[in-house]
Amino acid sequence: MILFLQQMINGLSVGSIYALIALGYTMVYGIIKLINFAHGEIMMAGAYFAFLIAITTNLPFPLVLVFSMIMAAILGMFTEYIAYKPLRNAPRISALITAIGVSFFLQNLALVIFKANPKIMPELIVKKPISIGALKIGTVTLTTLVLSIIFMIILDIFVKKTKPGKAMRAVSEDKEAAMLMGINVDRTISITFAIGSALGALGGVLYSITYTQVFPTMGVMPGLKAFVAAVLGGIGLIPGAVLGGFVIGMIETVSKAYISSQWSDAIVFGLLIIVLLFKPTGILGKNEKEKV
Amino acid sequence: MLKVQNIDVFYNKIHAIKDVSFEVKEGEVVTLIGANGAGKTTILKTISKLLEPTNGVILFRDEPITKITSHQLVYLGLAHVPEGRRIFSKMSVFENLQMGAYIRNDKSQIDADLEKIFHYFPRLKERINQPAGTLSGGEQQMLSIGRALMSRPKLMLMDEPSMGLAPLLVQEIFNIIQTIKNEGTTILLVEQNANKALQVADRAYVLETGKVIKSGTAKELMEDDSIKKAYLGG
Ligand SMILES: Nc1ncnc2c1ncn2[C@@H]1O[C@H](COP(=O)(O)OP(=O)(O)O)[C@@H](O)[C@H]1O
Ligand SMILES: [Mg+2]
Repeated sequence: MILFLQQMINGLSVGSIYALIALGYTMVYGIIKLINFAHGEIMMAGAYFAFLIAITTNLPFPLVLVFSMIMAAILGMFTEYIAYKPLRNAPRISALITAIGVSFFLQNLALVIFKANPKIMPELIVKKPISIGALKIGTVTLTTLVLSIIFMIILDIFVKKTKPGKAMRAVSEDKEAAMLMGINVDRTISITFAIGSALGALGGVLYSITYTQVFPTMGVMPGLKAFVAAVLGGIGLIPGAVLGGFVIGMIETVSKAYISSQWSDAIVFGLLIIVLLFKPTGILGKNEKEKV
Repeated sequence: MLKVQNIDVFYNKIHAIKDVSFEVKEGEVVTLIGANGAGKTTILKTISKLLEPTNGVILFRDEPITKITSHQLVYLGLAHVPEGRRIFSKMSVFENLQMGAYIRNDKSQIDADLEKIFHYFPRLKERINQPAGTLSGGEQQMLSIGRALMSRPKLMLMDEPSMGLAPLLVQEIFNIIQTIKNEGTTILLVEQNANKALQVADRAYVLETGKVIKSGTAKELMEDDSIKKAYLGG
């Protein structure tokens, strides 16, 4: 029982990382209907930024985190400006293919700069187990979970209560109507990329601390799983991304512990297929009629 | 207030607006009437910079809007009640009205204007926290008008505000237009319901397949035989 609880907490912690990354997918999809395949690479870049800051300075963990998130936000806005904005009115498939291109470009750029062999992430969070009753939870697991939840709450307040957050929802619904309100749509899209990328970087830094490594293709698998999480929860829906992330993290951890670690990925993707068969719009998605 | 001079608008190869010119003076209600497909919506979208004319100039408050974007026009005092309402259906009634006041920061004045809107449309107040998508068609139209008023516009463009509404609601919408007019807001009203539009308007332009074919005071047009026949049902 204790072991199972401990696995659940690990699952939540891994899941919270997927959820953070999934938020970037879902927010970008919500606002410009683009599956940003380069998002996993933004996450990877965030981890490298943290790595670089950590080995060149002796800043404390919170500052390393903040700076790497800011740098990733700038990178995210930059990719949007360079690669996606010129395609705003092009067919959706063009932007999708461009996103795959950006993904390869960033991966290969990292490969050229940092080489293929993994770098060891400095121990930004001192690793030691904390006992809560009979439970033993690692500091990394706990920090990951707490930080993720804090940032999800901040995001929720931002989107629901602030003026730019509401503008973001307005733009997601109807760009022309949003313009007629005086909302700068281009800037709102840019802010969305910045926030999604910063959250992705947070996920990347936590991921690389958890697995102690940074390498050019590190964004691929978590990026894919986070994408699955976003679709599973209902793409475009912020609570969907969070729910999907946690569900996938739990299933992955539990199936690794109790079934087989080789099969865990297959189980995760199998689950996606089953859910989509019954509910194509994801767990929280509504089967909306297309507006005429 | 608004001068439209010799504009042409195309959708790819379709020549939707052909050499159209007209004017709206401060304090006036001007209506563009015309059948479905005449080009009314295209003209309003061009004024709002959602579409670009290939020829001609539009002056808003004596400034050419050639280099101005849609969202900047709102800051200059333009509001547009678009065809089909286009409210933000997943956002609450209150949030929709807040989006209408997006360009403003004067909190106390915004609150006063909210009260005014709720005075015009008491039904919106009852549904203040409801997602706007759950409102009836007429309520959505009221929200769309209220939302536009929240920016305190100098000129309001209204695209068929009575479309698809029951007669009683149509009357209610036109009463509000009259009230907005009385408060001094300039209005460019597009309508297929020429009867009602001419009653509230000072002047009118008649549009046919992208061209202005007639213009005059509302009174003149109401008495014009060809207009009576084509647009006023006899
Ligand atoms: N998006 C579009 N693409 C191509 N043609 C259009 C489009 N919108 C309108 N049109 C055409 O332009 C003409 C004017 O349309 P519109 O301005 O919507 O007329 P109205 O508002 O008077 O009913 C019509 O012939 C219509 O078919
Ligand atoms: Mg129309």
